[in-house]
Amino acid sequence: MAVKIVTDTLSDITSDLAGELGITVVPLYVRFGESIYKDRVEITSEEFYRRLVSEPKLPSTTQPTPNDFIQVYETLAKETDEILVVVVSSKLSGTYQSATQAKEMMKGKCRIDVVDSLSVAMGMGLIVIAAVNAVKDRANLDKAADLARNAVSRSHLVAYFDTLKYLAKGGRIGKASGLLGSLLSVKPILTVKDGEMSPLTRVRSLNAGLDYLYNYAAGFSKIEGLAVEHATTPDDADKLVERLGEIYPKERIYRSVISPVVGTYAGPDALALTVLEAEKK
Amino acid sequence: MSQMKSVAGQDLRDMFSAATSWLEKSSADIDALNVFPVPDGDTGTNMMLTMRSTMEEAYRAPDHSAAGIAHAMARGALMGARGNSGVILSQILRGLAQGLEDKESFSAADLAAALQISAQIAYKGVSNPVEGTMLTVMKDTAVAAQAQVDAGNEDIISVLENTVSAAGDSVANTPMLLKVLKDAGVVDAGGQGVYTILEGAMRYLRGETELMRLRKPQIIVSDLPHVVSQPQSIAIDEVPYGYCTEFLLKGEKLEPDTIKKRLLKKGESLIVVGDDSAVRIHIHTLTPGNILQLAAKLGTMHQVSIRNMDEQHQDFLEMQKERMPTTDTAVIAVAAGDGLADVFGSLGAAAVVPGGQTMNPSTKDILQVVESTFSDKIIILPNNKNIIATANQVQSLTEKKIMVVPTKTIPQGVVALLAFDYEAEFNTNNEIMEKALSSVKTIEVTRSVRATKINGLKIKRKQPIGLLDGELIAVGDTNTEVINQLLSRLDLEKAEVVTIYYGEDAEAEETEQINAGIMEKYPHLQVESIRGDQPYYSYIISIE
Repeated sequence: MAVKIVTDTLSDITSDLAGELGITVVPLYVRFGESIYKDRVEITSEEFYRRLVSEPKLPSTTQPTPNDFIQVYETLAKETDEILVVVVSSKLSGTYQSATQAKEMMKGKCRIDVVDSLSVAMGMGLIVIAAVNAVKDRANLDKAADLARNAVSRSHLVAYFDTLKYLAKGGRIGKASGLLGSLLSVKPILTVKDGEMSPLTRVRSLNAGLDYLYNYAAGFSKIEGLAVEHATTPDDADKLVERLGEIYPKERIYRSVISPVVGTYAGPDALALTVLEAEKK
Repeated sequence: MSQMKSVAGQDLRDMFSAATSWLEKSSADIDALNVFPVPDGDTGTNMMLTMRSTMEEAYRAPDHSAAGIAHAMARGALMGARGNSGVILSQILRGLAQGLEDKESFSAADLAAALQISAQIAYKGVSNPVEGTMLTVMKDTAVAAQAQVDAGNEDIISVLENTVSAAGDSVANTPMLLKVLKDAGVVDAGGQGVYTILEGAMRYLRGETELMRLRKPQIIVSDLPHVVSQPQSIAIDEVPYGYCTEFLLKGEKLEPDTIKKRLLKKGESLIVVGDDSAVRIHIHTLTPGNILQLAAKLGTMHQVSIRNMDEQHQDFLEMQKERMPTTDTAVIAVAAGDGLADVFGSLGAAAVVPGGQTMNPSTKDILQVVESTFSDKIIILPNNKNIIATANQVQSLTEKKIMVVPTKTIPQGVVALLAFDYEAEFNTNNEIMEKALSSVKTIEVTRSVRATKINGLKIKRKQPIGLLDGELIAVGDTNTEVINQLLSRLDLEKAEVVTIYYGEDAEAEETEQINAGIMEKYPHLQVESIRGDQPYYSYIISIE
């Protein structure tokens, strides 16, 4: 029986893409005041960003419960005896704990391996897609999990933030705190390093940011996968895709939207680029 | 969601018990916020230990009403209070007990009223209350809770949520109120502790015990600009700190207020709190013996602790040294004017050497700053063509690795610093920063010191003159006219950001006019005016 793959909504794998890939996406939760929504299931990205800007209190986010994972595992266990779970960096969310606890509670019905992607958004999405491709090539659980773990160090996420306000308020700022408090208006460029948000540099304008993201991708000699995402500005992301077409087949670039949970920290107008570097032979 | 309109004694105990565990998880992080010479070395640990003693007493309480539990907690806190922050915390809990007196259970309104009393008693316990500390956080918290209740909110969870949020904002604001915090770039540790306790209590009531087990509290980050360490601030402080003296005094008919008055002139940071049978005393003094002698006449002393604060200060300096990354590259900039120094500091420069046109720092001045910066790889931004050679000399005088990015103007220094890549190697960074220099044009406007003829311009004494990338090419009757001449020489179609650093003699009205003029003429540009405070140059303008 083929390995089934599970991820969480922070992978930014949209439901359409998930259907195509044949994988299950477990939602995290977003909370505005007293209302709790399943990420992307009960609140759309558009609705979310509208409220993020207009509501006085910032939303908070919560990982899926172990029970959420158990339900998914049990449904899948009817069709397979091997499940690969790839989740958001354990340093950014407790999702990894929930997925692992759920695995322990399953008691041997089915083999499950939980991989900590040490990344987020398409930085994790491209790892998931790499695992899906491996399974298509008939990889078993161990092989697919090995490949996913190997892809972790090859996946590079860089993001342009219009502001660090949301990241700072959400307490997820990590090492990027050094970028706070600039007297000039600057736009931070961040990356995920060792599972945590980490600063790269700063630019003064969106165009300089787009240049930086393009040059970042162009700096790799061999690229296995590329993904571009936006929060609220699809046109800017499209512009980047257009330029990246110079170095990589445009139609193979994954286009996605930064999920509401990540959006809680990234804020509106953020853009993200992920490069999955090809394996060095 | 159903509302919670009252909380019984047992829940009061359990919520603070959960809050104690929550605090425990971040006590080390809170310790790390400590700024000397704010008294007590380990605020997080002290508050956590105080809470533990508080809860031990709460679990022994024979009376399980809210009043009974709160009273036991207050007693436990006083007995086990550690350090300055612990003592103040014990006052907060004493206020809570007073506010909940005779209550079987309590409502949101009772809680808000109790928090008000807590804040008042906390202020009263300290002989010289300072804003920007846990006192302020407690006061803001109480105000927020009362505002919720006044607005008709009866749901304790919702009131607490808003209160915690206000406490968080108050913590984030502490560096605005207290300069030592601002200089160190941290929030107040005691305030953070109060926030964490309240947050823990709120999360417990919200039923998030599972989440509390998995997560840990976040330290609030202040988004204030980091202030750069100026070379003069490195001088070792010669004033001795003396001894931090703490003990619990037990006896009969002790009068805390009288004791406080008698100790007031005997030292600093005095706190005297308690009741007529037990009083906790905390003071920084050069002569702890005198304090103990005085106390011995009043009753028996317990948990006596005398610590040498000068030794602590030394330890603190050592710890700071250790904490500073020595492998990371540090950037040092040369700039004149407080505003420009703040700009460089806010962008991550480790230090700023005062200097610029007509006041070039010596190699020794720069060397001194290089040596006192906690890094062995240093990039220097001279920001003036006359200082580049001086900066280049530094390498021969130090064992540290030095690179000089030849920045000739302030705007060049800023773009170089902005381009700094946190992940890049030392050499690569030097290249990246140098490469960035071509992306900026610099306009400088000053006044001619004498009448002269240069580059085909006839210049009168004191007339505004303008330089473009260091070359004198414009003269006019007003600053605005000079700036417009220079701007017209540039291809602004491709430019995106214009930053105007106005000098110490620039007029606000004129700056605004210049700013508005550029925006009107070139609507695609993003224009920013920043206080530079630089001498001699009315305006330094960066065009990127």
